[in-house]
Amino acid sequence: MRTPTAQREAPTYRPTAHAVDLSGIHKSFGGESGGERVHAVDGVDLTIQHGEIVAFLGPNGAGKTTTLDMVLGLTEPNTGTLSVLGLAPRRAVAAGRVSAVLQTGGLLRDLTVRETVQMIASTFAQHSGVDTVVERAGLTSLQGRKVAKWSGGEQQRLRFALALLPDPDVLILDEPTAGMDVGARREFWATMHAEAAAGRTIVFATHYLEEADAFADRIVLMARGRIVADGTTEEIRARATGRTVHADLPDENTAHRVADRLRGIPEVRSAEVEGHRVTVTSQNSDAIALLLLSECGARNVEITTGSLESAFVAITGDPTTTAVTDHTDAQARL
Amino acid sequence: MNTTYLALETKRITRDYVTMFFTAVLPAFFYLIFGASQEYSNEAAGNGNVAMYIMISMAAYGAVVATTGIGGMAAVERMQGWGRQLALTPMTDGAYVSIKSTIALMIAAIPIALVFALGALTGAEADAQVWVFSAIILLLGATTFSLYGLCFGLAFRSEAAVSAASGTLVILGFMGNIFFPLTGWLLTVAKFTPLYGYVQLARYPLTEGFNLDTTTGAMIEEAGWIPIVNVVVWTLIFATLATWLVRRGRGRQ
Repeated sequence: MRTPTAQREAPTYRPTAHAVDLSGIHKSFGGESGGERVHAVDGVDLTIQHGEIVAFLGPNGAGKTTTLDMVLGLTEPNTGTLSVLGLAPRRAVAAGRVSAVLQTGGLLRDLTVRETVQMIASTFAQHSGVDTVVERAGLTSLQGRKVAKWSGGEQQRLRFALALLPDPDVLILDEPTAGMDVGARREFWATMHAEAAAGRTIVFATHYLEEADAFADRIVLMARGRIVADGTTEEIRARATGRTVHADLPDENTAHRVADRLRGIPEVRSAEVEGHRVTVTSQNSDAIALLLLSECGARNVEITTGSLESAFVAITGDPTTTAVTDHTDAQARL
Repeated sequence: MNTTYLALETKRITRDYVTMFFTAVLPAFFYLIFGASQEYSNEAAGNGNVAMYIMISMAAYGAVVATTGIGGMAAVERMQGWGRQLALTPMTDGAYVSIKSTIALMIAAIPIALVFALGALTGAEADAQVWVFSAIILLLGATTFSLYGLCFGLAFRSEAAVSAASGTLVILGFMGNIFFPLTGWLLTVAKFTPLYGYVQLARYPLTEGFNLDTTTGAMIEEAGWIPIVNVVVWTLIFATLATWLVRRGRGRQ
């Protein structure tokens, strides 16, 4: 049995191979039986260094999951080369060097938590120990219960325990907090901080800009199978401007008048009217909210942070993207 | 062989009491009702008696219910994402198949053992080698039906479909001369159905290929190649269908 990672020393610098290396990756599906061929991943080049924490951001269908699946050897690219720690993905997986927390599904509902961990552990020649990973994922007290009885967040912690079994150098998380409530999400990322501190390379896909912002060193923004932005969270943040302010005005005429007035302010990017409600995007949401409340007679003022969609629109300049408003936890109701 | 995985998997299946009831208890119950408790059970049949004939038939039914369920659940669990989870481990597809095949044999052995034990206690009689060879044929032949279950699981992707597959075995059992001795054109049709060849081979050590004609009481001999061809052809059909369904599933990913 290997030493649990929490006690392990910082990983040695390996100058020979990057944690993850993707070059000219293309992957498309369908098209055999007359259906339209979908280009899930359309020319991705990416290098991830050891110890980096990278967020893959993008809407559904952006190619995040397909890209991560290829890194894990679950599917193969049509063209291009990729390696994980200098190894072919399947070999890296078989050697326990890379591991993953997959999206929902993938657990046997009629096993207990402990049995699930034992089952997966039995496939590895060496592993961190069933008790160790159960404890590190915070599952000790409920390990005798059947998986079917667990909430989405608890099941996700179980998938995390499974991912820790081989004591991997690279940990891949595909929307790890989907279906979790705010508290569970926060707890999950707190656990993940400990893993990052132990020197693992962590790559995760997410819908939540907040998560990427709080946890990643680097954000890779994907859209339509391509990388459209790649930089530190600060760099991406700066481009994904502002917050959105919503407010109800006494009537439609007032709403139009206020919207016109707001458009005159340089910091305001846009001001839309729907009925007697205005929607304003701006770098300085506090000032706009104050103005609306104090001078325009606005009620029900609501401020939402820049959603993934707005970041996406800002960066790609693609207004055709379906703007599903992605209200975040930071939503404030005044 | 990964014995930890095998042990956990066995534990998981045997504590599913509903499935175990249909797999083990129901065939045993059928044997007691249609075999042991009937007056004709002591009459001679081939190298043994009628109770023996019915005992082997009911064990055959239980064994195929077991393997169909294992095959179907394997397909469903893989498609519901467990396959992806296992793909993140060093376990190979070959290792997975060999574990599942071992499980199928172990679970199929439960109804065979239970029904045979009841038979021994309630008057089923035959030469010793009949017991041994029938049991072996029952066990090995049942594996074909894990492919049958696999096809249902792959095609319909749900637990309900696997239950349905087990349900169809009752119909196939009647059509395949398991529950009730068929004669005339029904027997002719039976020879083309998937369970016929299997149960006929399992009863061969007892009957040596004779079928009882219930209308005349005469024994009709059947050529030995008929059940063999039946088993081979149906195995090929199930295997081809399963292969095609796996490929179709891959294309959809």
